[in-house]
Amino acid sequence: MTEEEKKAKFMDGVKSVLYGMAGHDMARYALKTRGSMEHLFILITMGDLLGIPILPPYYSLRLLPYVVPQISTWKRRMLREKDLTDALA
Amino acid sequence: MSLREVFDNNPDRRYIMFGGKGGLGKTTFSAATAYWLAKQGHKVLVFSVDPQASLSDIFKRDIFGKGPVEIMPNLYAQEIDADRRIREYQEEIRQKIRDMYGLDEMPEEIENYIQAAAAEPAMEESAIFDEVVDIVVGGEYDYYIYDLVPLGHALYYLSMASVYDEWIDKITKLRQEMDEYQQVAAVMQRSKESEEDQILRELQDIKYRINTSSSILTDKQKTAFFFVIIPEEMIILDTQKAASLFAKFDVPLLGYLVNRVIPPELASQNIPDYLVHRLEMQKDYLTKIDKVFGGQVMARIPEFERDITGLPMIERMAEAMFGGDA
Repeated sequence: MTEEEKKAKFMDGVKSVLYGMAGHDMARYALKTRGSMEHLFILITMGDLLGIPILPPYYSLRLLPYVVPQISTWKRRMLREKDLTDALA
Repeated sequence: MSLREVFDNNPDRRYIMFGGKGGLGKTTFSAATAYWLAKQGHKVLVFSVDPQASLSDIFKRDIFGKGPVEIMPNLYAQEIDADRRIREYQEEIRQKIRDMYGLDEMPEEIENYIQAAAAEPAMEESAIFDEVVDIVVGGEYDYYIYDLVPLGHALYYLSMASVYDEWIDKITKLRQEMDEYQQVAAVMQRSKESEEDQILRELQDIKYRINTSSSILTDKQKTAFFFVIIPEEMIILDTQKAASLFAKFDVPLLGYLVNRVIPPELASQNIPDYLVHRLEMQKDYLTKIDKVFGGQVMARIPEFERDITGLPMIERMAEAMFGGDA
């Protein structure tokens, strides 16, 4: 291993540690927020799937292919009962 | 100003619409205007946005769901088959899902949703609305003549555009916000650029389509909207109401065409009392129309002795509307 490579590896390690200390939580939070918005988005566009009619079905059909994988988790999340531990999550 | 001058002086007005209550002659005027413009050497498409279209009847040709059909040189007519469009659209969605996830069969839940969505009452109108976008975006014709649906539906059609527009705006914003969070996370995790959001792209395309369609409906430079009325009290009142509603949507209303006027010269002939009374009644209402709609009355079209169907009758109607020597 040359001096250059050692230095690069070391720097990479430092970055990872820093990310773990500071960035990871923020990234997790951003992704979590995005996940919530994703579900809100599906609710607005595909509300009919829960029996909430939301305009207009012609165009929401066009979006359906993209949200197929999320639909089952979304329904679970929307319809599940909430308890105290939700506030801690 | 005569109807002919309106067309001659404003060659940019390429989208012509006739609106009014059912059965007053919207389709007749659409066909006759298309005929006249075609005879003038313009390439014209007259199409119906009514699920119960009657262009086939007036041209005496079955054109339903066949795309633009050439009726005579330069004149094309089209009736949209909404049901077929919905079926094709559903199949398109299913195919896309199958391709995207490598499925042989549709998940039951998804299939149910696709079928339920197609049964929504607004589906037919939406499908036609969407096809109209394809028609006008094509830009192949010099003139597009909309044979509109009866008043109530036309208002629904107009309001649909603005409701859709707002709806799409809201969710596009939400989607963009989601994209921002995605990028924040991507930066934190030092990953490469995040994937392009296909849903956002799809939404922007939907927005573009809706805007195209609704901006035509309200474009003062390119669009001319005419109300068809007849000299009868109820029609005058209803049209006044409708005109004020249309004004709210910024529809560029150019004028009114009075249809089914009994030729006044009949009065000098030996006619039965029945006709004398009809003539008197119409005379009163024609005066009222002139008072209410004033200079916006573009033409009075006589009541013909028979139905307007087939090209020879359409030609006579065009002469009555625009004057001879076309």
